[in-house]
Amino acid sequence: MKESLIAEFRSIVGKENVLTSSEALKAYSYDGTTNWIREPDVVVFPTTASQVSAVLKIANKEKIPVTPRGGGTNVSGGSVPWLGGVALVMTKMNKIVRIDKENLTATVEPGVVLQDLTLRIAKDRLFFPPDPQSFLGATLGGIISENGGGPACVKYGVTKQYILGIEVVLPTGEIVNLGGRTLKNVVGYDLLHIFISAEGTLGVITKAELKLLPIPPVKKTIMAVYDDVAAAGESVYRVLENGVIPDKIELLDNWVINRIEEMMPIGLPKDADAVLLFECDGISEAVAKESEQIAETTKKYGAREVRIAKDDEDAAKYWMARKAGFAAVYGKAKTVFAEDVTVPRGKIPDLINKCKELAKKYDVEIIVLGHAGDGNLHPAILTDINNKDHYDRSVKAMHEIIEGAVELGGVLSGEHGIGLEKQKFFDKVTDPVVVNMMKGIKSLLDPNNIMNPGKIWD
Amino acid sequence: MKDLSELKKVEQYADQCMKCGFCSFFCPVYQEERIETGVARGKNYLAKLIIKGEQEFTPEMGEILGKCLLCKRCVANCPSKTQIDRVVVAARAQMVKEKGLGFIKGFVFRRAMANRKAMGRYARLMQTFQWLLPKTEGKVRHLPDFIKSLGGRNFPALARTFLREQVKTVYPAVGPRKMTVAFFMGCATDFVYPELGLSLISFLTRRGVEVRVPKEQNCCGAAILFSGDFATARFLADENVKALKDVDYVVTACGTCSSTLKDYKKYLAGNEDEEKRYGELESRVKDATEFIIDVLKVKPEELTLKKEFEGKTATWHDPCHLIRYQNIKEQPRAILKGLKGLTYAEMPNADLCCGMGGSFSVYHYDITKKIAAKKMEGIKATGADIVVTACPGCMINLLDNVLLNKMPQKVYHLLELVE
Ligand SMILES: Cc1cc2nc3c(=O)[nH]c(=O)nc-3n(C[C@H](O)[C@H](O)[C@H](O)COP(=O)(O)OP(=O)(O)OC[C@H]3O[C@@H](n4cnc5c(N)ncnc54)[C@H](O)[C@@H]3O)c2cc1C
Ligand code: SF4
Ligand code: SF4
Repeated sequence: MKESLIAEFRSIVGKENVLTSSEALKAYSYDGTTNWIREPDVVVFPTTASQVSAVLKIANKEKIPVTPRGGGTNVSGGSVPWLGGVALVMTKMNKIVRIDKENLTATVEPGVVLQDLTLRIAKDRLFFPPDPQSFLGATLGGIISENGGGPACVKYGVTKQYILGIEVVLPTGEIVNLGGRTLKNVVGYDLLHIFISAEGTLGVITKAELKLLPIPPVKKTIMAVYDDVAAAGESVYRVLENGVIPDKIELLDNWVINRIEEMMPIGLPKDADAVLLFECDGISEAVAKESEQIAETTKKYGAREVRIAKDDEDAAKYWMARKAGFAAVYGKAKTVFAEDVTVPRGKIPDLINKCKELAKKYDVEIIVLGHAGDGNLHPAILTDINNKDHYDRSVKAMHEIIEGAVELGGVLSGEHGIGLEKQKFFDKVTDPVVVNMMKGIKSLLDPNNIMNPGKIWD
Repeated sequence: MKDLSELKKVEQYADQCMKCGFCSFFCPVYQEERIETGVARGKNYLAKLIIKGEQEFTPEMGEILGKCLLCKRCVANCPSKTQIDRVVVAARAQMVKEKGLGFIKGFVFRRAMANRKAMGRYARLMQTFQWLLPKTEGKVRHLPDFIKSLGGRNFPALARTFLREQVKTVYPAVGPRKMTVAFFMGCATDFVYPELGLSLISFLTRRGVEVRVPKEQNCCGAAILFSGDFATARFLADENVKALKDVDYVVTACGTCSSTLKDYKKYLAGNEDEEKRYGELESRVKDATEFIIDVLKVKPEELTLKKEFEGKTATWHDPCHLIRYQNIKEQPRAILKGLKGLTYAEMPNADLCCGMGGSFSVYHYDITKKIAAKKMEGIKATGADIVVTACPGCMINLLDNVLLNKMPQKVYHLLELVE
């Protein structure tokens, strides 16, 4: 990159907010994935929307790629600067601008880390329902751009349901406000939602208006134990069908249970084929009633044992275990394909059976650990990129999982986005007319293709 | 072939990182700068590139490796338990091997500290000129230099007489002897807080412990070891192993010293003989806090609070070298909660590093102050009158920042509270 451009960036954001050392470029070459690595030519930390605008105007004129980056925790290659250029790092725009207790909203800058927001608004007994499990590192800009969601989406839904408005800088430099601060808003096309899950390819989010909810006073955790993982899958929709909507339903399979028990023995049933963890929240009478009903329904549909957590501490143990599950998967293999396929809830048992079949067919380990409550199962294949034969079989198995999920009426990605990781499937599973609509929107907003180029489609 | 032996030893730890980025939430340095090279994930990634031959020990790399408090907050909260502290220390050691000692700035005392006499002389010099300096409060004065290097901060006065000039070699147990321990002084206790050493000795002898103070003991070598100068650190380790023989336990009032003495094996052992000798020492080292509760089994309620602390509220600061290096968390709290006449108030961020990080604060005093400011918020929130800890290193930094923030709290070592 031309030295004169770097000098211009320096004059916009200040000297300390432009990094060019080879070490810094390397440190911004990766994200939460293992395989996608590319260095930017320069790292720029804006601190205001007008700085972002000034940087984008130059980039647009010079046709330099710009890749926005939040916490760099996404697992699809989304914030890797694939074609070099500017890594636009939003971590220094991390102010919580306002908390409006009357309207239950918060205004935040994009670099606010979710956990910082959670801790701050908890003081006002409020919470932001989308709960991606990367909350310690993920920023709201990244979460909006990936439309993140976590366990609690069974009851509360995902990020897009909690974004009232955003301020966004277009690739051509205009600063626009979309949406607003009201719950209802039908003024023309809903452009706001195009930016949610756009993976940083349409513009840079510089502010967001979030919808919050009051923290429910009581929570209860229930664990149901199964001898057959597919039966666990069935229980998920049986519980919902019976009129109870827990805020979370998570599934751990036998492999994960055993790894957790090795790491931190908390008394999970090691011989079980799977366990489901439910959490209900709300006012105490409702929660008590719902827990009973979950116990009843799960027993009726194949749970061999149901445990209700004694107290918050006991409950925390189960959720710690769920969290450790992720580390367990990653800690056990050189390369992990963490799939993000999502199927309609009624098809969970079919997807699980499909995974079992494929594990046999290709002789690979396929682990199921995921947000069962929303059909987002995260089947993971453990392999090693250096073991060619095993790796090739794993790739085949992964392809078939995705095809299988789509056949079942599901989608390729529930929450991680396409980025680089899922590109090879994107065209296959997306209607060409739809792809063309997306490309049309992209070229309208970003005529020079500078925003996070190389992502979503080839 | 490039020598990568030190890094190779820790490659397995570096490989554990799955790049989740969770450490960013806990790393005090990242929290201030919000730059990836400052966080465990970034340092670890760059260290791995060095192993692969894709990154050199450039001055910038030296900076990055230097900007780590070794506070282990990242390790304690890492889902895959990546031991970034070991990776950073090994990378520093590799760098020292390749580039020589001069390359890493920030270790002013390396030479002086390895030679206890020289260190003493240097400190003595400082003391001699102390009267020239403006007196700020009580025992605190501004020293230029220990001076410049410490950034013109508030620094406790050096003792008139160092501890080792006052101690005898053996203090017999009062009453029947239960056991014999060696008292390990540590530099800060020796030069700055000699009374602390004397009160520990008296505390122990009154409880049936014979205390020996081997004259040949040296600096624990923390600053040297963590700077990556393993050769000098090994020299100190060997000296201390020799000096601290033939006792049941080795006890110290400094959290950093106890943790360093326990970690010689982990960081420095290069052969079986060293593994054996360092491991043997490790098994006998006890921090004073754990020694009192776990070995002597003193009941906290039976301890007597010094008069001057009657009716006061105390809060506890967890030194990194106690809570995360040695897993000592409950023992000091038990003592504080048990002391009659004292009220205990837990601060919200008790386990947050104070920002000192040994020589880190010499070169990054601005960051140190910002980290400490967060600590100060925690202290203020408790409404405590006194801040108690058990590491003289933390004491020095807490004291400086309490003054900088114009707070009324005084800083004490836990042992200073008890008769
Ligand atoms: C251990 C682990 C667990 C996870 N669990 C979940 C989970 O439960 N649910 C879930 O949904 N995800 C999960 N993720 C994925 C990841 O955390 C999310 O995708 C998260 O939303 C990314 O946020 P980030 O700040 O790290 O963004 P980054 O990774 O930095 O960026 C993500 C994308 O957003 C774009 N972007 C970032 N900031 C902006 C901005 N201000 N304006 C425009 N574009 C921007 C980037 O260009 C990139 O395409 C997990 C990841 C890990 C490592
Ligand atoms: S928390 Fe641990 S695994 Fe995650 S990025 Fe940091 S060092 Fe790596
Ligand atoms: S040891 Fe402390 S300062 Fe160093 S990377 Fe870990 S958290 Fe950050």
